[in-house]
Amino acid sequence: MVPTEHHGDQWEPYVDNGGSTLAIAGEDFVVIGSDTRSSDGYNINTRYDPKAFKFTNNTVLATTGYRADCKSMAKSVQAQITKYAHDHGKEMSVEAMAQMLSIMMYQKRFFSYYVFPIVAGIDKEGKGAVYSYDPVGNMERVGFRAFGSSSALLQPFIDDQLGFKNRADIKPEERELHLPDLQQAKNIITDVFNGAAERDIYTGDGLQLFTITKEGGIELEELPLKRD
Amino acid sequence: MDPITYKLPHTPQGIQKPGEPVKHISSPAVTGSSVLGIKYKDGLMFAADCLGSYGSMLKFKNQHRLHAIGKSTVLAFSGDVSDFQYMQETLDELMNSERNWEDDQSLGTKSIYSYIHAIMYQRRSKVDPLWNSYVVGGIEKGKPFMGYVDLYGTTYEADSLATGFGKHLAQPLMRKALEDKEGDLTEEEARDVLLRSLRVLFYRDTRSLNLYQIAKVTGEGVTISDPTHLDSEWEFGRNIRGYGF
Amino acid sequence: MNDFKQQFLGDTLTKTLFSETEASATTNGLGSTGSGFETTAHKFALAPLQKPVEFAKTHIDNTSETQARIQAAHGTTTLAFKFQHGVIVCTDSRATMGNVIASQTVKKVIEINEFLLGTMAGGAADCSFWERELGRQCKLYALRNKKRITVAGASKILRNMVLNYKGMGLSMGTMICGWDEDTTDPALFYVDSDGQRLENHLFSVGSGSTFAYSVLDAGYHYNMEVEEAKELARRAIYHATYRDAFSGGYVRMYHIKQDGWVAFDLQDVGELDIHYYPERKGVPDNQVQEEIIRPAGVSV
Repeated sequence: MVPTEHHGDQWEPYVDNGGSTLAIAGEDFVVIGSDTRSSDGYNINTRYDPKAFKFTNNTVLATTGYRADCKSMAKSVQAQITKYAHDHGKEMSVEAMAQMLSIMMYQKRFFSYYVFPIVAGIDKEGKGAVYSYDPVGNMERVGFRAFGSSSALLQPFIDDQLGFKNRADIKPEERELHLPDLQQAKNIITDVFNGAAERDIYTGDGLQLFTITKEGGIELEELPLKRD
Repeated sequence: MDPITYKLPHTPQGIQKPGEPVKHISSPAVTGSSVLGIKYKDGLMFAADCLGSYGSMLKFKNQHRLHAIGKSTVLAFSGDVSDFQYMQETLDELMNSERNWEDDQSLGTKSIYSYIHAIMYQRRSKVDPLWNSYVVGGIEKGKPFMGYVDLYGTTYEADSLATGFGKHLAQPLMRKALEDKEGDLTEEEARDVLLRSLRVLFYRDTRSLNLYQIAKVTGEGVTISDPTHLDSEWEFGRNIRGYGF
Repeated sequence: MNDFKQQFLGDTLTKTLFSETEASATTNGLGSTGSGFETTAHKFALAPLQKPVEFAKTHIDNTSETQARIQAAHGTTTLAFKFQHGVIVCTDSRATMGNVIASQTVKKVIEINEFLLGTMAGGAADCSFWERELGRQCKLYALRNKKRITVAGASKILRNMVLNYKGMGLSMGTMICGWDEDTTDPALFYVDSDGQRLENHLFSVGSGSTFAYSVLDAGYHYNMEVEEAKELARRAIYHATYRDAFSGGYVRMYHIKQDGWVAFDLQDVGELDIHYYPERKGVPDNQVQEEIIRPAGVSV
């Protein structure tokens, strides 16, 4: 993360404000964790700047990257979702919102948002859904995803613990038995964020933990993280 | 370093060829250095020195950098003075057009903050930014609010805010003061930490001045002090060894 | 309402807050005259600079070759070939952003419709956006003409669409594969973001394509049976993932038949490694004992 880069005479219109997000999809739930630190270079701007946004009763958008773009993008998505609700008399599904975000991001293909978004919610079949994107709108539905300044710390860990990648000791057919339930998934998120706060200077201060279930809607817990 | 205070002096970028569209000038001319803001028991307090620098020249030594917008909001700026004046005109226009309704309402601090952010983000998205960092604060519906916006459109809120060099030198002092008192400073304590911060800035920021203003927002409204002399102590310099002496 | 907005924003700000610099280009399938294709305008935001394209190129990297701030997902081995029973389409599943493996589970075969497949190489977002748009155009063609579009026609639409953005940094190398109505032969076209469009029996695209080609060329002939063709494709992708760092993950395979395509299960490249070289048992190359030949006079 470089504070300010210059391309010749050109002013650089992007900054990286750091922070991390992590989402885990379960059979009938999704959990989304994100820290609340906002930084600029070696400065901590504030210890509380939430980067996950709740939309419908069923969807959360978690973002990292350039905070102004994150907020602007979230605002545009909110506007479209509200419009959709008025036009169709129902809330937008996660699937629809996920595809919409991909197209909205691609509209800015040549002056891209500097944002790494994750969309999480419960799909039409009642299953947990996590969608991840690159900054120009390439979308993929995944089981779990870490983004942001700690992504290189978090993703390999959950690849092992949740994806059983390269794990010869657990047979493919047995893997489902080892998948976490809601409480275990929440524990994983709090644990890995404590680890990220320990080793990544851009992650810390506070953890927002969103839980989405079909019955319970969206619940938000806020927990402290290391502030150093 | 912070581009707001350190990309100086202002020069047009590249060579202007006849018939070409005008190139954006995206570096500042006359600039102000750090501004500070802190929340305390009865409201918010802001501090800034009164210097408008032109490069390394101390050009304007009575530059007011704390301004009231409406009845209970203060706008403190650092960075380019003319870009700030454009922002001020825009906001005045906005407040006047609101007053035309004669409905005994005016825009609150959060609305003003949000509007400033919209303009700043819009200009960064034109890659023609307003070269400023702002601290906006006030009391809305009895609750204190304070936010930061800069030329990137980056926004954040906190109990203490600073721009420019103040991010490095003043924020630690203000955060410690708040943590020691668990975020419940008296007016005296708030003023004390702001003055200490200004003094530290005067010692170490070459683009600062020992003439300052303090602004207060309380339930009563906004008060901005006259420019006041900041006392400082340089005698200790005699005892410093090792810088070629 | 408008008065209110005017009052709220003032004249100047209505302009500055809500106007956006946009690039628009017309994408019109096979040309605007008589083809029956609608002229569709796509609007993309551009950096409001004198050289917006330069901005896009210096800030958004599709290749892992520059240190641009925005690293888009990319990197690939894809292949497709025609044979007597149709087309085999086979890809890896890795996406990289800079040096990071962004995903090992990318779906690089895009199902345009029941009879058409497109592959993804280069910028992942570029491929999926434009091939989704191609799917829309193909559906419109089918509705208007009461028959499916030909593979030649579809690939030409795609080429014409991306040609409008030539030189602006799009990165796409794709194979459009299918089987036309009432024909006895399958069809295979290559289209890229430079505007190139080629027809052939066999293509491989992406950073690992050279490795895939060497396996394909050694084993390819038109009169293969389905199992032999699938095995050839699998081996080619496997060997590409073995030697190309930007390829890996899983082997994904499709077979296009006269009555549409079928998809097969994913195969883990790591498991294929054990399958093809059981004596290695997953041991890296450098641990396999080999006789080391040194130049004369060099001692250990």
